[in-house]
Amino acid sequence: MNHFPHGWGRPRDDIYGPYDHTYLSHSQSSGPNQHTQQPAVTGTSVLAAKFKDGVVIAADNLASYGSLARFTDVKRLHKFGEHAILGIGGDVSDMQYISRILNELDIDENYGSTGNTLNAKNLHTYLSKVMYARRTKINPLWNAILVAGLDGVGRPFLSSVDLLGTTFSSPTLATGYGSYLAQPLLRKLAETEDEVANVTREKAEKAVREALKVLFYRDARSLDRFSIAVVTKQGIELMEDEQLEGQSWAFADRIKGYGTQVN
Amino acid sequence: MTSIGTGYDLSNSVFSPDGRNFQVEYATKAVENGGTSIGIRCKDGVVLAVEKLVTSKLLKPGANKRIATVDRNVGIAFSGLIPDGRHFVSRARDEASSWRDTYKQPIPVSSLADRMGSYVQAYTLYNSVRPFGITAIIGGWDSEQDLPVDGQVGSGPKTGTGGKVAGTKSGGPGLYMIEPSGLYWGYYGAATGKGRQAAKAELEKLDLASGSLSLHEGVKEAARIIHVAHDDNKDKEFELEMTWVSSLDGPTKGRHEFVPEKLLVEAERLAKRYMEGDEDEEEDENMES
Amino acid sequence: MFRNNYDNDSVTFSPQGRIFQVEYAQEALKQGSVVVGIVSKTHAVLAAVKRNAEDLSSYQKKIVGIDTHLGVAIAGLSSDGRVLLNFMKQQSLSSRLTYGRAIPIERIVSLIGDRAQTNTQHYGKRPYGVGLLVCGVDESGPHLFEFTPSGMTQEMLACAIGGRSQMARTYLERHLDVFAGCSREELIKHALQALKESLSQDKDLTVENTSIGIVGWGGPDGAKGQPFKLFDGSEVAPLLAASGEGETAQDEMDVDT
Repeated sequence: MNHFPHGWGRPRDDIYGPYDHTYLSHSQSSGPNQHTQQPAVTGTSVLAAKFKDGVVIAADNLASYGSLARFTDVKRLHKFGEHAILGIGGDVSDMQYISRILNELDIDENYGSTGNTLNAKNLHTYLSKVMYARRTKINPLWNAILVAGLDGVGRPFLSSVDLLGTTFSSPTLATGYGSYLAQPLLRKLAETEDEVANVTREKAEKAVREALKVLFYRDARSLDRFSIAVVTKQGIELMEDEQLEGQSWAFADRIKGYGTQVN
Repeated sequence: MTSIGTGYDLSNSVFSPDGRNFQVEYATKAVENGGTSIGIRCKDGVVLAVEKLVTSKLLKPGANKRIATVDRNVGIAFSGLIPDGRHFVSRARDEASSWRDTYKQPIPVSSLADRMGSYVQAYTLYNSVRPFGITAIIGGWDSEQDLPVDGQVGSGPKTGTGGKVAGTKSGGPGLYMIEPSGLYWGYYGAATGKGRQAAKAELEKLDLASGSLSLHEGVKEAARIIHVAHDDNKDKEFELEMTWVSSLDGPTKGRHEFVPEKLLVEAERLAKRYMEGDEDEEEDENMES
Repeated sequence: MFRNNYDNDSVTFSPQGRIFQVEYAQEALKQGSVVVGIVSKTHAVLAAVKRNAEDLSSYQKKIVGIDTHLGVAIAGLSSDGRVLLNFMKQQSLSSRLTYGRAIPIERIVSLIGDRAQTNTQHYGKRPYGVGLLVCGVDESGPHLFEFTPSGMTQEMLACAIGGRSQMARTYLERHLDVFAGCSREELIKHALQALKESLSQDKDLTVENTSIGIVGWGGPDGAKGQPFKLFDGSEVAPLLAASGEGETAQDEMDVDT
């Protein structure tokens, strides 16, 4: 008895012979056609938080190759137009591809006499279609993206889209490892949309920087150099070479693997 | 055109016994009926200008732009059939986009001119199409600096040259004019359309080959030349439309843009004064935008 | 049969650099009845005279809504118009789907312009025999564009195309300066007046033969906008009355969207 359900209902090999894979034009010897199965060079978490006049977004400057800290000056925040910015985690080459299609989109938009009028909300809608279309081809762009900025009526906008094309919005958002470690911390800032009205830029920026620090303590694929941006009606303020301040590793010497200890 | 009516001029891609393609020549006639367009290659940028004939009072003033941008650093002005010009521009944008897909860099002006020359020429090869009824002037600025490739996210190794050779010079202004035959040349000063003869005569006086004319001077000259070229058919009203593209450290930062309102008004004021015969004026009010 | 050797198809230039087939196609719009369009700082309006084939048949559609922010008036071969209108509806919907944004008017107009141009450059195709007035609102304000079979598109302050439209254009030119400051009601009044100028002696604007389309701009963020609204049949009556009788029928004007 064949106990594997995927074998049931198929012609029996002892009567019809084994399935002839040469009929699959793609894969005479290598089996079914395959696309990306896993990311290669990756960026870790992206964090963002709304405040009453805008949005703060941040991501560290590391691109890892497995556990190797491969590139340490990688900018993962990308501006789009005057009032939108996106932070990208996951596969770095897919991120670069996204950056290029957005550059092309910006060029096309500027051909019109009013310039690029796509706002952060439009951008998020567009990206969600791109991501979903790719996952439907079973060839996803291996990323988790946060889109921050202002919507069509100038209100703060923050939303996410991932490699499956899933979209999600909340006053604070974090991708990757940050969704476990940082998001609970950021929620203290504002748990509901109504609470955003009480959040100042200073409070939001401080909470995001603190959350980045927590991630640096606990996420082995993170870095203490990062980029952070603030989007308001005045435009985008992007700082790309920030350093985590006030670190304390006093807790660490009691933990296996820290520093030069070997046991 | 003694060969008109002999039948060799009825179809595109057909040579006459003396080796001419009449349909291409007729397409050139469409160009010669259109408003004048000019381009000036200055030492630190390029100016494009068109004489936009106002065909109806009901047109929205200042709208209906005739000079188009391709990528961010190139402009196209054209004379002739406007819908053909729009098609040409649309193709140029596709070329620029596909260049970026391949090379992750903006297309050099020379390469764009080459590709568009080939495209226009293809429309002289078949009797199933007609040639473009336009002559297009392509002007742009190739970055003089090493641009990051599209999608670049880091800055490379902190030591060593990273393959860069110090002291090499690249980039600069580019100006090309493509005719309905697909023929194109590089120019210091280019003119096409109805008033091209007068405009060419004016351009030749500027000694553009010496590379001494500045972009700001170029803007004023361009405005003046359009006014001079228009003189012959004074009856029709026209709007002056001007764009420019400068070096990265210049006023447009390497982008192709419309000349700012203030400078445009000033250039047009000087042009009108010139037309009134007030030629001995000294431009004391130095308009730097 | 032909006027000359150069007018058989749209891929042949005449020795003067003209393309006769395209010019003849422009004549086709004069077969259609007149349509008028005007913009103010806040509104864009279309008005048209509809025709019926015979007394017992319905009237031909002259104004069509493409999207909530955009409408089109047709002059010429309405079947050609329908092709372009369907294309515009698809493009408009596609913009809403991919970006969640109403397509900018300038952009959708240039799309149909490019499409029409292709028809003038390839053998076996013919130019569209239709002219359009496209009116709509986007982030930059209300707009009115004219589209012709050559693929030419132009932004206008006011425009009239179709049969006998010269009289309407003359009216529009004469009143051009006041349009910018007009209210919605005044704009409709001017559009109907321009239509009237183009009517032949024995005809008048009626509830049956008049169509009006109007769209209002809601500022850069679209907050106070009035979606494109088509007035046909009985809905036209109060607008006609207000236009015909001047101030007297003002209270009937409150048929808002």
